[in-house]
Amino acid sequence: MSACTPKSLASSGQKPIQEMCHPLGAEEAVLTPSPDVRNLTSSIGEKDQILTNGTPVETSSPSSSSSLLNRLQLDDDLDGETRDLFVTVDDPKKHVSTMETYITYRVVTKTTRVEFDLPEYTVRRRYQDFDWLRTKLEDSQPTHLIPPLPEKFVMKGVVDRFSEEFVETRRKALDKFLKRVADHPVLSFNEHLNSFLSAKDLNKRQGLALLSKMGESVKYVTGGYKLRGRPVEFSAMGDYLDMFTQKLGTIDRIAQRIIKEQSEYLAELKEYGPVYTTWAASEVELQGPLEGVASCMANCSIALDELTQDMSGDFLPVLREYVLYIESMKAVLKKRDNVQAEYEAKREAAALRKEERPTAKVPTDVEKCQDRVECFNADLKSDWDQWQNNKTQDFRQLLTGMADHNIQYYEKCLAAWDLCVFQFLTGHLHRRQKSEED
Amino acid sequence: MMADSGPKEVAVIGNTELTSAELDNNIKNTMVEIEKGTNLLRKMEISVAEAEKRTGKNTVNMQEMYTVYLIETRPVDALTEGITPDSLWRRYSEFELLRNYLLVTYPFVVVAPLPEKRAEIVWHKLSADNMDPDFVERRRVGLENFLHRVASHPVLCNDNIFYIFLTEQDKDWKEMVYETGFQAKADSRLKAVNAAFRVKNPDGRFTELKHYSDELQTVLSQLLRVRARVADRLYGVYKVHGNYGRVFSEWSAIEKEMGDGLQSAGHHMDAYAASVDDILEEEEHYADQLKEYLFYTDALRAVCRKHELTQFELEMVALDLAYKKQQKEELVTGTVRTFSLKGMTSKLFGQETAEQREAKLQVLEQQLKEGEEAVKEKNTESDEFVKTAWVDIERFKDQKDRDLKEALISYAVMQISMCKKGIQVWTNAKECFNKM
Repeated sequence: MSACTPKSLASSGQKPIQEMCHPLGAEEAVLTPSPDVRNLTSSIGEKDQILTNGTPVETSSPSSSSSLLNRLQLDDDLDGETRDLFVTVDDPKKHVSTMETYITYRVVTKTTRVEFDLPEYTVRRRYQDFDWLRTKLEDSQPTHLIPPLPEKFVMKGVVDRFSEEFVETRRKALDKFLKRVADHPVLSFNEHLNSFLSAKDLNKRQGLALLSKMGESVKYVTGGYKLRGRPVEFSAMGDYLDMFTQKLGTIDRIAQRIIKEQSEYLAELKEYGPVYTTWAASEVELQGPLEGVASCMANCSIALDELTQDMSGDFLPVLREYVLYIESMKAVLKKRDNVQAEYEAKREAAALRKEERPTAKVPTDVEKCQDRVECFNADLKSDWDQWQNNKTQDFRQLLTGMADHNIQYYEKCLAAWDLCVFQFLTGHLHRRQKSEED
Repeated sequence: MMADSGPKEVAVIGNTELTSAELDNNIKNTMVEIEKGTNLLRKMEISVAEAEKRTGKNTVNMQEMYTVYLIETRPVDALTEGITPDSLWRRYSEFELLRNYLLVTYPFVVVAPLPEKRAEIVWHKLSADNMDPDFVERRRVGLENFLHRVASHPVLCNDNIFYIFLTEQDKDWKEMVYETGFQAKADSRLKAVNAAFRVKNPDGRFTELKHYSDELQTVLSQLLRVRARVADRLYGVYKVHGNYGRVFSEWSAIEKEMGDGLQSAGHHMDAYAASVDDILEEEEHYADQLKEYLFYTDALRAVCRKHELTQFELEMVALDLAYKKQQKEELVTGTVRTFSLKGMTSKLFGQETAEQREAKLQVLEQQLKEGEEAVKEKNTESDEFVKTAWVDIERFKDQKDRDLKEALISYAVMQISMCKKGIQVWTNAKECFNKM
């Protein structure tokens, strides 16, 4: 089976390990900006004059030893380029009003960028606000991949929207979203992001936003143009995403199955230990060892419960969120296709008209389309690279996390059984000594 | 062979025909041997080496399939000299016959149980099929264990029937066993149950022992059932992880950087899934150890029942004696204290003559003498039984504590090994993930 991964692209080239982004790491190297960015914002040129911000930001990313290590390692490898925008989402709080109950999250920003008036901001935002931001980003940067948000709608009867677990899972996803945006060389300079991070009250004007969103999407999605020659690299991306989605689905199912099997195993284990206690009650010599076994099994049950909780809380949500990320990427690919299709159609029409009037110039409309296509392609390629890097990092962390949880589980059980054997042997010795003394 | 290495301490052993009286003599002699501590197993290597399937005609002349087991014996010193063992084939039913014979002949002994006739407490991997090779193999081990238990028992190891069971193919062993007349000596179940209900003063220790064996039976049955369910679930958990192996392999094919790491991690997941088979195989050994003691509870209860029976018989005989004494007293003093038809009729129709009274008295005297003899005999019998039984029960208790403690320790060691393997596999997988 031929590998359908994107080939090395001219603009970005192979990145050395040092520059690979770790979405959950505090310090990250900024990617080489794509060509059009230089034209977009003049402030990029001033980037080199920005003072290095050395203060490590307190993030709410999981402080597991592996991610901490990763953070430190990346710090050492920085190529003189430093991040100048740090964002964190934390401190969820419940708000009860007469109309509704909802959760807000604290968004902390630390930055040295000139675009911001102050070096630090702290605001409170709710999910709606994040949604607004994402919509705005999609509208204003249609050629870029916007990271996904966690699921908007939850069935009120099924999931407790205010449970600690749900809120924490959502917070992590929102934090990841914002960090990905903040790390994006183009998106992070978006004015709407600025407002989101700094404004006291978001003047959202949702009505207008909705309209404009519809307008844009009509333009990019339901163009109705038929695509002729999609470049191979973009077809490859599409194929890869389809297959990847499939694999993720399978992994999700397996993970769920394992959790289910483990829960059933736990249920039986919880019945098993107490039988040893019952037995111990009718024994004399064996009472000690039997009770030792019973308490050991109780400890193993606790460890197993923790493992299942960890996998449900850490593993599954991240896996599912990636499916959303893939959907976003697919949507962008589709948009690109439509832009190219529009260009091709217009070009053909122009060519036909040119046949009629050979001296006429190529209309600027067609040129504009061509520009759009080329910009889109370039943006997409660089975003794709970043996405791939993020993906590798994310899955490395996810899977090592899974391995860690299992290792911890077995270590806890091992400790319990070691203690059990130790008690057997020392108890036995103690009894032997006693009987020798008698 | 018998002349060379058979136990010579007891004079009666060596005869092939044993009468009932000689059997009793046997018991009395072997009780002396308990102190000497002869142990057949020390002199002789016994093993159930193989199992084979045979077909043959059964009692109703129909073809049936059955399994035979090869019993090999060899004097212990022969190991170094490389002498080939003697061997013969026996069926499970012959083991059963041997055990029943021992139960009846030595009622004061807690006789080791046989392995399951049919696979009863199973988890999904084991079929309940008697012909299943795993079941047959575990039964072979169980039968060998049974023979070792008997051969190392201070009383049972000297039994001649047992010895011939082990060593002589030619003789019609079954005929021999029947000729001992042990079946006649067997107490009817009805008699035993009746005695259990009606006995007035059983030895408290036996009552306690009966309760203990009931409790042990209940708890071990439950333990084995739950353990089987736990094993089932554990199997499920491990095997599902094998699916990761497959999907990682498929996924690695579409990846560039991550491919190698994923592929190797997938292999580790496969290894993890496969490892459960060995783990559960080892645990079956633990389950078998528990099962042996579950079946031992039957033997314990049998000894208690025998005590109740002998005690009951003693009480009956003593009661009869007391009644006869009372009758004598009435006859002598002329008073009628208990209601009897004779008494009534004599009251109504006149007293008996002096000669009639004298004749009756003579008969009663004789009966009293016989009764007193009977009570003395039964008393001795009961005392002996209690004494010898309790010695064996203490021996059993020590054996049980030792064996089960060892079983629990090896179970814990098994769990430790399982945890270490788990840590190893996941650490290896983690390394692969880190390389992605």
